[in-house]
Amino acid sequence: MIRFGPLIVLAALLALWQAAGMAMRVETLPTPLAVLPELWALFASGEIWGDLRASLYRLAAGFVLALATGVPLGILCGRSAAVRGFVSPLLALFYPVPKAALIPILMLWLGAGDLSKITIIYLSVTLPIVYHGQQGAAAVEEKLVWSARAMGTGRAGVLLRIILPASLPELLLGVRVAIVIGLIVMISSEMIVRQNGLGYDIFNAMDMAQYRLTYAVIVVVAVLGFVLDATFERLRRRLTFWAPERQDQLPTGA
Amino acid sequence: MIRLDRVSKTYTRAGGGEPVRALSEISADIADGAFVTIVGPSGCGKSTLLYIVGGFVPASGGAVLVEGKPIAGPGPDRGPVFQEFALFPWKTVRQNIRFGLAEQNVPRAEADRRVDELLDLVHLRQYAALYPKELSGGMKQRVAIARTLAYRPRTLLMDEPFGALDAHTRAKLQDELLQIWERERKTVLFITHGVDEAVYLSDRILVMSAAPGAIKADIAVDLPRPRRREELLRHPRYQELVIEIGRMMDTTA
Amino acid sequence: MILRALRSCYSVLLLLAAWELFARSGMVPRTLLPPVSLVLQRTAIALATDTFVADLATTLFRLLAGLALAVGLGIALGVISAQTRAGRAIFEPLVRVLGPLPKIALFPVLLLTLGFDNTPRIVLVLIDAIFPVMLAAHYAARAVDEKLIWSARAAGTSPTGCVLRVILPAAMPQILTGIRVAAVIACVVVFLSEMVQPGDGLGDQMIRAARAFRSVDMFVPIVVISGLGFILDTLLALVRRRALGWAG
Repeated sequence: MIRFGPLIVLAALLALWQAAGMAMRVETLPTPLAVLPELWALFASGEIWGDLRASLYRLAAGFVLALATGVPLGILCGRSAAVRGFVSPLLALFYPVPKAALIPILMLWLGAGDLSKITIIYLSVTLPIVYHGQQGAAAVEEKLVWSARAMGTGRAGVLLRIILPASLPELLLGVRVAIVIGLIVMISSEMIVRQNGLGYDIFNAMDMAQYRLTYAVIVVVAVLGFVLDATFERLRRRLTFWAPERQDQLPTGA
Repeated sequence: MIRLDRVSKTYTRAGGGEPVRALSEISADIADGAFVTIVGPSGCGKSTLLYIVGGFVPASGGAVLVEGKPIAGPGPDRGPVFQEFALFPWKTVRQNIRFGLAEQNVPRAEADRRVDELLDLVHLRQYAALYPKELSGGMKQRVAIARTLAYRPRTLLMDEPFGALDAHTRAKLQDELLQIWERERKTVLFITHGVDEAVYLSDRILVMSAAPGAIKADIAVDLPRPRRREELLRHPRYQELVIEIGRMMDTTA
Repeated sequence: MILRALRSCYSVLLLLAAWELFARSGMVPRTLLPPVSLVLQRTAIALATDTFVADLATTLFRLLAGLALAVGLGIALGVISAQTRAGRAIFEPLVRVLGPLPKIALFPVLLLTLGFDNTPRIVLVLIDAIFPVMLAAHYAARAVDEKLIWSARAAGTSPTGCVLRVILPAAMPQILTGIRVAAVIACVVVFLSEMVQPGDGLGDQMIRAARAFRSVDMFVPIVVISGLGFILDTLLALVRRRALGWAG
């Protein structure tokens, strides 16, 4: 029952959409049944793959960079008051900035290619990773550290073998938030710049009055979001099965 | 009078499997004005039994009758006091004590008078404007007792009320509770796992055994009242009862 | 006091100083990176210009309308869904499906069905900002100590009374935290909606500046919307401290 919860909800949402489409009877709100052939054609013709690949490549590249720099920085912030004193005001400064909106500026600096888009994703997903890494590392039970030190673990060993695993549950919650934020930034920057990618496809189809196509691409984005989140969630649960599950952490982000 | 008539409780486990029998056909009569304590090892279901009497948790079988009528949920005739204090953290001491009076639409002036009375009763007059987080455990439990006494329940349901306090505070609050009880003569149903506490306070002790929870013994505490701690601790009958009930707990655990 | 405040955010000052020096050093053209002093000066001028203030007001209206709806509906839906078994059973799968969906992708749908004016932007803010509020309200309402509720029930409070006078105040600290997150999301989303489909508002200012390669003017709307987010966040933090001093 619990396992199939999302599927049941999905079916209900689709039914709702279908009912709304049938009630409104307008071109701008096609029913899911009318969108389905369009969706099929998108994949069958191979049209969508290029954009999907372009979008996902930027997301992945930005993400890998963010993990590589954000995790160590977050952990250091959590364990060192000096690092925290330097980094947290900067985090607070950038927190309310609409990162995706920086894309026109970054394009001035880095050109119109992938680099500016990867940078924008990197900037926006690093923030939650650093923040949650810091929260996790700061909350590590001091007596765990003392126990390890007493058993002869060195400073680096403590960071790597005690602090990192102990902050993993919180850190991975941050990564989960980051995935959602990354998607949002990816789509919105593609909508602003309008060169390629899924965000571009949605608007392009709308501008050309291909409304069914618009909805079809939105469905692709929705499925992508759900699959990415659900896949990561399985991984997260496997990695932190030993930690008490926190219920109130579900994905949202800006 | 409160009558427990073959009260049972079974839980179904979340993961499925055999349902757990927590309480098995418990029957007892609690006389008006009596101080009755239920003792038992942890996990015997004594708190669950109290929650059922309070109407907070439904029984799986049997009934709780107050004045011959089966209860339908919680009611202001049965006021709870919990080990965890359960004060409203967003209300001051005064507002907490006032809560039940406001809920029962007691006129403002009368409610104020009643709250003052209770603040004096539990010696918290000068702390009336503080929030729960600013109080010690003993003070919190005094507030909780006052909050419940405020709406004048006929019965107090006390769920290990002093379990979270240090030994010194516990003794002090036991004495204060006895003083209040001597004056107001409410029915008290008291849960504890402390045998000495049970003997010190009660007229009657029900000893429970675990798995499934059942009443194993019903003991009348024939000690003189009003009780004074020092006299009682030296009283041979007190010592006898503590040892006897302690032994029962060992064999039931 | 001021000195200590400055020292606590020295890294920010360092960053701004580095930006200023770098921009003035001549190593980069001014059109790519204007000095921060110039950006701030231009922001001050913009805030005294009628057209800019009109755009700011437009954005602010959409933002606050969407946020207010998100707060009201989010608290109501979150708390009510926590009260029944069915509500709790539906809530999590619903959020697991709709949470990871980048709501901005639905913006074209909103434009197509609700027109191209304020409404789709307000609704976009609503569907984005509602999540943190609703999640906080739902899980906080579920986590209220049942003994608080029992205490109230025993004192004669009705189940509805318990929701209003026990569960809601008990959940308020978490709800306010959710609202703080929602406020920043609302600022970001309204700005993006105005960039994606320009017309008016601060986001439109940004797009117009970008198209004309007026680089200083590209920074100004970003500074203003970020400042707005910062102010809202700070105000809500203040409210939390004032109204919820009881929370530990």
